[in-house]
Amino acid sequence: MSRLEAKKPSFCRSEPLTSERVRATLSVLKGIVTSCYGPAGRLKQLHNGLGGSVCTTSQSAALLANLPVTHPILKILTTSVQNHVSCFSDGGLFTAILCCNLVENVQRLGLTPTTVIKLNKQLLSLCTSYLKSEACGCRIPVNFSSTQILLCLVRSILTSKPACMLTTKEIDHISTLILRAFLLIIPENAQDHIILGKSIIVPLKRQRVIDSTVLPGILIEISEVQLMKILPIKKSDSFKVALFCVSLSGDLSDTGEGNVVVSYGVSLENAVLDQLLNLGRQLVSDHVDLVLCQKVIHPSLKQFLRTHHVIAVDRVGVAVMEPLSKVTATVCSLLLCNRNDTAWDELKLTCQTALHALQLTIKEPCVLLGGGCTETHLAAYIRHKTRSEPEGILRDDGCTQTELQLITEAFCSALESLAGSLEHDGGEVLTDGKYGHFWSVQADSPSVVNWPDVLSRCGCGLYSSQEELSWSFLRSARPPFVPQTCLPCEATDSAGNLTLDCFTAKLSGLQVAVETANLILDLSYVIEDKN
Amino acid sequence: MAAAGSVRAALQVAEVLETVVSCCLGPEGRQVLCTKPTGEVLLSRDGGRLLKALHLEHPIARMMVACVSSHIRKTGDGAKTFIIFLCHLLRELHAITDKEKDSFFSENIQTHGRHWKNCCQWKFISQALLTFQTQILDYVMDHYLSRHFLSIFSSSTKERPLCRSSLEMLLGAYFCGRVGRNNHNFVSQLMCDYFFKCTACESGFEEVLELVDDCFVELKVGVTGLPVSDSRIIAGLVLPRDFSVYCPADGDIRIVIVIETIQPPFSTFGSEFILNSEAQFQTSQFWITERTKAIMKYLQKQNVKLLLSTVKQPDLVIYCAGLNGISVVECLSSEELSLIQRVTGLSPFVLPQASSQYELSNTAMVKFCKPFILRSKRYVHLGLISTCSFTPHCIVLCGPVQGLVEQHQDALHGAFKMLRQLFKDLDLNYVTQASDQNCTSSPLIYKNSRESNDLPEIVNGSIQRPYQDTVVKNKDELAKTQTYLKAYSNLVVPSVELETNILCSTPTVTLTATYQTDATLRCFSPNKARIMDDHEPFIESNSANSTTENTRREISYENLQVTKNARKGSILPVRDKSLEMCTSQSYCFSSVPAGCVLPVGGNFEILLHYYLLNYAKKCRQSEETMVSMIIANALLGVPKILYKSKKGNYSFPQIYIRALHALQTNQPMISNQTGLESVAGKYRLLTSVLQCLTNILTIDLVINIKRQPQEIYDQDSEEEL
Repeated sequence: MSRLEAKKPSFCRSEPLTSERVRATLSVLKGIVTSCYGPAGRLKQLHNGLGGSVCTTSQSAALLANLPVTHPILKILTTSVQNHVSCFSDGGLFTAILCCNLVENVQRLGLTPTTVIKLNKQLLSLCTSYLKSEACGCRIPVNFSSTQILLCLVRSILTSKPACMLTTKEIDHISTLILRAFLLIIPENAQDHIILGKSIIVPLKRQRVIDSTVLPGILIEISEVQLMKILPIKKSDSFKVALFCVSLSGDLSDTGEGNVVVSYGVSLENAVLDQLLNLGRQLVSDHVDLVLCQKVIHPSLKQFLRTHHVIAVDRVGVAVMEPLSKVTATVCSLLLCNRNDTAWDELKLTCQTALHALQLTIKEPCVLLGGGCTETHLAAYIRHKTRSEPEGILRDDGCTQTELQLITEAFCSALESLAGSLEHDGGEVLTDGKYGHFWSVQADSPSVVNWPDVLSRCGCGLYSSQEELSWSFLRSARPPFVPQTCLPCEATDSAGNLTLDCFTAKLSGLQVAVETANLILDLSYVIEDKN
Repeated sequence: MAAAGSVRAALQVAEVLETVVSCCLGPEGRQVLCTKPTGEVLLSRDGGRLLKALHLEHPIARMMVACVSSHIRKTGDGAKTFIIFLCHLLRELHAITDKEKDSFFSENIQTHGRHWKNCCQWKFISQALLTFQTQILDYVMDHYLSRHFLSIFSSSTKERPLCRSSLEMLLGAYFCGRVGRNNHNFVSQLMCDYFFKCTACESGFEEVLELVDDCFVELKVGVTGLPVSDSRIIAGLVLPRDFSVYCPADGDIRIVIVIETIQPPFSTFGSEFILNSEAQFQTSQFWITERTKAIMKYLQKQNVKLLLSTVKQPDLVIYCAGLNGISVVECLSSEELSLIQRVTGLSPFVLPQASSQYELSNTAMVKFCKPFILRSKRYVHLGLISTCSFTPHCIVLCGPVQGLVEQHQDALHGAFKMLRQLFKDLDLNYVTQASDQNCTSSPLIYKNSRESNDLPEIVNGSIQRPYQDTVVKNKDELAKTQTYLKAYSNLVVPSVELETNILCSTPTVTLTATYQTDATLRCFSPNKARIMDDHEPFIESNSANSTTENTRREISYENLQVTKNARKGSILPVRDKSLEMCTSQSYCFSSVPAGCVLPVGGNFEILLHYYLLNYAKKCRQSEETMVSMIIANALLGVPKILYKSKKGNYSFPQIYIRALHALQTNQPMISNQTGLESVAGKYRLLTSVLQCLTNILTIDLVINIKRQPQEIYDQDSEEEL
């Protein structure tokens, strides 16, 4: 009767954030996620000492799923990031780093949680309403008549996952494939309500990435012997398929709650098999060419069908059944190749992310500037807004202007250091005084220089250094300025190779990061159930 | 191993619990993170949940937690206030024992004897608490507090139209204490919208609340990974599963419910099916198939478009349904079934009916039935057409982590419970305390004398009076007191006897002098004990004595600021009321009408504190005075914590003085808070706490058994009720 064992008392701690241990663990986590961020991010190799395969990754989904987190506060943070990723696929590291930065920055201030949470929320709503507004300077509307922006979006996602181990040429190839696969699942005669089809990723490991391809329709695995038999396909025009979701193995169905007494000599198996063979005859007389079954087909029936030149494929599985049973032809198969297993896994995850990002972009037809530019631009906007009209933000809260300035500084520097963590190679990070975009300089550049000489384009690639933009270091104090809102039209049209982020995923990531940080900052006790 | 169940031990436990829960109390409260043994994390500000999560070992603590949970189950609110109030009550009681120690030592009683004496004393106090709960509290509520009540209804007509803004204020205040600071406005708005969307007509909201409270789990959908602000209300019912077959249909859709498999089984329970040949088997199977097809055909002919099944249907049924254009949803839980039945009044479809040619009677209509996708998970979305006053709607609750979604779920469910309680009348029964003009004049005399005195004397006078009562009464009416005490120990309170007691003692009270020193009081106690040869009255006087001493300090500093204002106008309201009310002698039945509310921020506590003190001053029985004073003082614990972080004009002493001043000068109390809270909820909380305290006080020994528990585990405290 172990069920009745008395429960052990729980472990209760007050003011968890003040403990040195918690701060140390938080900064370790922050270190891990920050170093993974961006195209130049460092890879993490995760291996379980008890067995299993080694995973090389820089993606939050794979990283956090394998990282054992014990402290409850870290658990809140990681689960919140994981939940975000499972909703939007993209922006996991963004969310995690921003949340860590916010907690760290705000905690240093020593303000009361009430004030912090109120003001953080105000700043967040300032951000979201700006990002959703037409005047937003870091948002590009998507024009579906051209694939340029969508291609940039996919390419940015692929570039930001270095563990896929792709060359530039391979990135271009895969980006095109992903976009083609996505376009294949959009139904042709779409009305007001679009139901997207399904793209199935088929693994072809240990082959050249360049061999990857996309095919309309579904691929079903079949043995080579069978394939050889059907290869000379007699009919070219139509091909009759019968699809079964029930088992054709001849097992007896449920006999009910009572007893079934079978007399000696009566074989129910034979009776059922007779029925199965009848079915087989029916299929043959109906001129069916291919029989697909989700479950098992009885060997005798299989043999029968084979002798009548009907191809029988069983154990198709429930995953393929759904697209198979859809009469609409909006299904495609993406045959994905990569050199080794880990790189393939990473590439598959990346492709799913990209496909998801494209789906989200259809729902909300705009994208955000990537490469750190959205973050720095947003920080500049918030700084300017809280300086110029603090009354509007402080309306009814009972917070002082000083408190607002402190929180604004913490919030904006969290955004800026998030952008800054894109730089991993010891280079300098700068921002300009006109657009508030993000610029980075290589590490080995001379110390006193003319900025336009060492800078080429900003993080997202929208602006070049030809213009005089009064650059300054991101970490230094700068006078607040009004970042230019409303993107020029030609900027979006002529955009050759922009770095872009999925709008919905990033916006939600921003919200989740601030909400989670607020949650963590609001904790006064941690009660750990030790049972 | 046995340990004395003492107030001290209970106080220590309560103080620990208080520190945990008080951090979550009120609008300034913070979150607590709980981890489950499974590794899940939960965020909570819900006192009940926190107390459970602590898995306390101490028997008294477990008893307290059990009391809190049973209170929460009924009312959905007040766990934190429960602990804080209980802790303050214990603190007051503990202060009494500390004072009393001296007198005990002087008598040289052996330790063991003292322990038992202590227990008897606690038992006596607990009985006094019970009388307070059954007699005084209702009286004070009805006579004094009721004039301050506000109503959530915009007019007092029979239809009782709900006032939306009042409801918003009520819910706003409720969620302030239950969910995180950044979300409470949003959640309370969501709940308000939901409530009004679900309530079809003005009058049916009780039914709606009952249904939502009972079926809340089925009416919410939790989604993790999205920001909280994505939470929304959707019309219709959402079932957390996908269609087994989905056939799109337009217009109103006819549905049936089945609770058994449509395909006839080979054999039924208790029967035997004998198979003699293979052909027979094939024929039976053929018959089953044909029969199933016939039933599905019949359903199609009856224009049924949706089949809701509580069981898993065989493949054949699903296949036939698809052929006949009937959508199927399988494996409905019994809770979902009962919700659908409550909303539509639909009873399950009985199979044999199908073979007959009659019209199908057990059907209902839905406006729509379609798949609903939330975070790539599929749901069934039904537009049920309601036959009751509840218009079906669902709440989709989003949050970055499951813990937060659960917190909002719990808070919403609790809010529905709270509203359900709010819309019930709360009965108050009590015996009117006074019978003639004699009684009503007594406070007047006293008050007049008080007016003419200087400040320190007022304090002395007002506090010593109760003690005088006991002395005089005990001297004059020994016999009476003893019967009275016996009656008490039987736990049944014979009110008639009580009354006679009061009547007899009344005249003497008014005559006694108001100036007595402590020294004389002490002298009396041992004497009396000897005379009576019974320890119970002795304890009675003793405890009264100590309250006098103890409460004086507290009161004197409060009065220092307050009585100045009190001198002028305090007599008026009290006298008027007592003259009107004291005419009847018998039982009084009254009620707090449904929908009564008070502004938040300790309003109820301060009001009750004030009126209890007033009552105590007029009261003629020492134990009543003592208990009233203890409770009155303990009540201030909650507002003290609520205003802890406030400074200046909003600090607790300032608020308290302003409130008392307003009460004494008969002005309306001004509250700087916008929220409202339910009076019935507060009243129920108070009685639950007193009941818990009574339980704690009546325990004299805690016997620790080190053995595997034999029977059901969590029966420990509830049986002792």
